[in-house]
Amino acid sequence: MLDHLFDGYTRSILIFTGINIIAAYSFYLPFKTGQVSLGQAGFLAVGAYAAGIMTQKFGLPFPVALLIGGLVTGIVGVGVGFPALRIRGIYLLLLTLAFAEIVQGVIMTWEYTGGAEGFQGVPYNAYTLDYIYGLLVALIIFFARLERSSLGRAMDSIHEDETAAEVMGVDVVGVKLLAFGLGAFIAGLAGALFAHHTTYVDSVTFNILVGVNILMFVVVGGSSTYWGPVLGAAFLTLLPEFLRMLREWLELLPVSWVDLVPMNRVYDFVHEFLDFENEKRLIVYGIILIVMMILRPDGILTRDNLRRFRFVGRKVGHV
Amino acid sequence: MSEPANDVCLGVRGLTKRIGGFYPLRDLDMDVAHGHIHAVIGPNGSGKTTFFNLLSGVLAADSGQITFEGRAIDDQRPSKRTLKGIARTFQNIRLFRHMTVLENVMIGQHCRSYGSIWKALRNAAFHPPFGEVREEREMRAHALELLEFLGLADKRRAKASDLPYGDQRKLELARALATQPRLLLLDEPAAGMNPHETEELDDIITRIRERGVTIVLVEHDMNLVMNISDRVTVLNFGTKIAEGLPNEIQGDPTVIEAYLGQDVSL
Repeated sequence: MLDHLFDGYTRSILIFTGINIIAAYSFYLPFKTGQVSLGQAGFLAVGAYAAGIMTQKFGLPFPVALLIGGLVTGIVGVGVGFPALRIRGIYLLLLTLAFAEIVQGVIMTWEYTGGAEGFQGVPYNAYTLDYIYGLLVALIIFFARLERSSLGRAMDSIHEDETAAEVMGVDVVGVKLLAFGLGAFIAGLAGALFAHHTTYVDSVTFNILVGVNILMFVVVGGSSTYWGPVLGAAFLTLLPEFLRMLREWLELLPVSWVDLVPMNRVYDFVHEFLDFENEKRLIVYGIILIVMMILRPDGILTRDNLRRFRFVGRKVGHV
Repeated sequence: MSEPANDVCLGVRGLTKRIGGFYPLRDLDMDVAHGHIHAVIGPNGSGKTTFFNLLSGVLAADSGQITFEGRAIDDQRPSKRTLKGIARTFQNIRLFRHMTVLENVMIGQHCRSYGSIWKALRNAAFHPPFGEVREEREMRAHALELLEFLGLADKRRAKASDLPYGDQRKLELARALATQPRLLLLDEPAAGMNPHETEELDDIITRIRERGVTIVLVEHDMNLVMNISDRVTVLNFGTKIAEGLPNEIQGDPTVIEAYLGQDVSL
């Protein structure tokens, strides 16, 4: 459906932006209960491989495989969530990182799905764009409701003070496991959608850096509101595209301007550091992150920002 | 070690907490009668807050039993104890600072309105996009009643961290009451309050008791303790050194010595 509306370039950008937003949501949900996971890439991989096996090896239709991919990942997520209950902060980061490493190791050595050569020939899904944006709308509605629900408040309370929440009767263990498992479920869906779009995945596809990127989406966008992951993932995914456009635009400048200021130097700089294919864009990512941490540690969007836009006397939602 | 009697709300037998060679609380026996206000006093470091942490399950005891309404609660998590009907406040205020006053109270109600997280998830995910779930409406109404009871209703939209100190203490109380307790543990509710606020608190605590809630009170403010308590237990270095009616305790030489280290009347 949506497929025919865009050319290949735009389509590809929209797909990767959408998958990144979904992946960002998979981080956002456990983070709402104070659990920071660097291992979301591992969950993406589990979803990608589980769904890929279902379609390629067992010939199941894609929607069924997608669901199975999500569920398998959700179950794995609950499994990882149990040890995650006992630890916090930097130790939890390490645990989730270790989980992602384990997944990578399994992928590399599992001959059934091609081992280190990668999982080839995953069936192509022509409706990826529809699936992604359908799922995204569903997720945004879910998170909007969650934020105004008692469960959402319970999650926020755990994020703020786990002991106080527990003493106030919030089932901290249950809510944290639920958040971690559901987050993994969402990551699994994103991974499955990704694999059936690119038709090839391997251990490098889901390396540690992917997990770091997912964390950055939420941190940059804003982690206290459900619009933050959307904004952060879209911003950081589209940034290289903007930078590429900027470069093309610079090339169009009159030569006299280039004489006036050392524009060729600027061009070189941009070319060197901001190129989409160039790994040096990580430097720009890093700088953006540092500046963000100093100027806006809560991300671009915060809940207080959004509250200001609400109508006075509004009945639904926060009082 | 005698068995707790029938009219006992909270029974504590041989309760001990050990950290290395140090005993913050040692071999404590104590009965709190239904409907009483039972004060626990003692100098700094005498084990009062440890006692509360053991009662609410924040800390695990090394030995001893705690019974609530005749049933052992020793191996239950704090949230389970809250469900059973025990609520507490914290000496160092632990509100959810980024939430509004009303939201803080509604956290306390969560465990009563949503028995299981599946029900909570269902209501979060599938309630109609416009309008509110019945549970939410009821929670809000009940929360407002509580805030009115404590005189915080007109501040319900304020962020908890923006409240003045005395109001934060009251909000802690409101949040604890929202869990619908039958036993309320108050950890120095008057700390940092001015005399006027303390008087107000005195009144509030009495009215909570009139609702049928048993109260255990840790407090430094002797006026408050002597005014409202039915019974007083005195701790020193983690052990009970005296227990009795307020006026008995006031004249007890061991208590005076523990508190002041010299012969001064309270």
